[in-house]
Amino acid sequence: MRSQLWGLYVREVLRTFRNPFVILITLVQPFMWLAFFGSSFNNLAAASGKFGAGSYFGYLLPGVLSTSMLSVGMFGSMSTIQDKRFGFMKRILITPTSKETIFLSKALGSATRGLVQVPVMIAAAVVFGVAFPLTPLEWVGWVFGLLLLAIGFSSLFLAITAPSTDWQTPGVVSNFITMPLMFASASLFPSTFFPSWMQAISGVNPITFSATLGRSFLLGTSVDWWNLGYLAIFAGAMLSLGYIVSARWLKVE
Amino acid sequence: MSAPAIVVNNLSKRYGNAHGVLALDRVTLSIGAGTVFGLMGPNGAGKTTLIKVLTGISDITSGTASVAGFEVQKESLQVRARIGWVAAEVILDDDFSAWENLWLQARLQDLKDWEERATHLLQYFGLADRKDDKVSHFSTGMRKKLEIALALLHQPLVIFMDEPTIGLDVATRRMLWDIVTGIHKEFGVTVLLTTHYIEEADALCDRIAIIDEGRIIAEGTPSELKSRVRADIVQLETSQPLEATVLSRIPGVQEVRSQGNEWVIQVTASDEFLPRLFASVNTEAIRRISVEKPSLETVFLQLTGHRIAPEEPMHDIRKFYAQMRRARS
Repeated sequence: MRSQLWGLYVREVLRTFRNPFVILITLVQPFMWLAFFGSSFNNLAAASGKFGAGSYFGYLLPGVLSTSMLSVGMFGSMSTIQDKRFGFMKRILITPTSKETIFLSKALGSATRGLVQVPVMIAAAVVFGVAFPLTPLEWVGWVFGLLLLAIGFSSLFLAITAPSTDWQTPGVVSNFITMPLMFASASLFPSTFFPSWMQAISGVNPITFSATLGRSFLLGTSVDWWNLGYLAIFAGAMLSLGYIVSARWLKVE
Repeated sequence: MSAPAIVVNNLSKRYGNAHGVLALDRVTLSIGAGTVFGLMGPNGAGKTTLIKVLTGISDITSGTASVAGFEVQKESLQVRARIGWVAAEVILDDDFSAWENLWLQARLQDLKDWEERATHLLQYFGLADRKDDKVSHFSTGMRKKLEIALALLHQPLVIFMDEPTIGLDVATRRMLWDIVTGIHKEFGVTVLLTTHYIEEADALCDRIAIIDEGRIIAEGTPSELKSRVRADIVQLETSQPLEATVLSRIPGVQEVRSQGNEWVIQVTASDEFLPRLFASVNTEAIRRISVEKPSLETVFLQLTGHRIAPEEPMHDIRKFYAQMRRARS
């Protein structure tokens, strides 16, 4: 299985990063969040005094990085549907490769694509004046949390779209999942201002846990490593779900 | 005959529920190792379904099948490690070079020392100097060659080729015929190919099974199959209804079948039959007539009452000229 997983994972990563448009959109989109959304809210956030001691950019960065991990899930699903439509899934499966291995390669490929955004976003945040007083352990913890979040969401997307061969499905699923999970989380604003039903969603939303973890490192507030544990449980649960669903329902063509 | 590479026993495949399409109906086949075996039949006959079942892509509804000594359903991984597959449409990773496609195939087949064999295959197919070029820049013929190289990389015992020449121009098709014959000799591999091209089956295959509506209706060497038809086939189209007895009474007629005003008449000798036909029916009523000597096409026609490939729309020269006249006016 290792040989097949490595082959398919490398294929996934190379295909992504050989497409200049994919690189452009992967890198520019989170940057634009920081530039436009961050700039528009910076003064308001400072006036309210509810976003911590630093600028809103420092508050926003862990949140935007977390929501970016949500959107990469869609690309793994699109890549899978492309393989089904072009017959490549058959080419893979007429070798000793299992459907579960295909699923894992797609989930890890998408997660890698998500993580590439991290250094670019951090570089952009430096431009916007954000300081990074993190210890090496905190850096590892933050990035590992984002990796777990990306694996979790890409697994969830792949599980939902496994039986589909329709190009439109990943977009539809993305629209259905992205907006509620993005806004019902602490990624952009503190959830203390939410109505109670949204607070309930935010309280179990893994984006909240990832954003809170990153923020605690970046803003120097008290660090709760349980956030990382929760993300690990989320990633493990979604990986298991995707693994089981793919073995049973991953359509070949 | 050598030991069988593929054994299919009473195999049925139904898509969907109990009322779904029965794509394969109690198929039984034994394909000897080291042979080129052709599965010949019209589109929708069940050829591709049989390949899907034998390669493990589709489940079996009932019956059994084994490839290279392993059961297709229970020992799928062992089967898939011993087979190669060439698709009807070329399926490669266009973002990758030829060498990278081979690398991926080696990974998927879990091969350790594959580079030497890959280099040999690229040389054999004349692709060695293009190995680092992106596959998207390759011609159709080159892509097809690379696909066959991928199928051969892990030294499979059996190669499945699903309609390998469909959509190719005549020159590329001929080239592919040479390749199939060549790899069979060079690598000693068993080839199961599907085709609806009569001449392809005739030129390439040691043995042929004729499949129609999911059933194997005849099997043998091309010459064995042709020898089954000791008759000429006369196809007749009339402009008016005709009594079947008028035709069947003509001496030398073995069998008469009709669909409306189109008739398929099996006769002992067409050169004796035709003058008798013209004497028996009003020649003005004959719109079209054609005679075929024994071939795999006539074998199929005789067995099923219809042709493998639908007739060309411009087959009838009078219809063609009538359309041309209308187009000019």
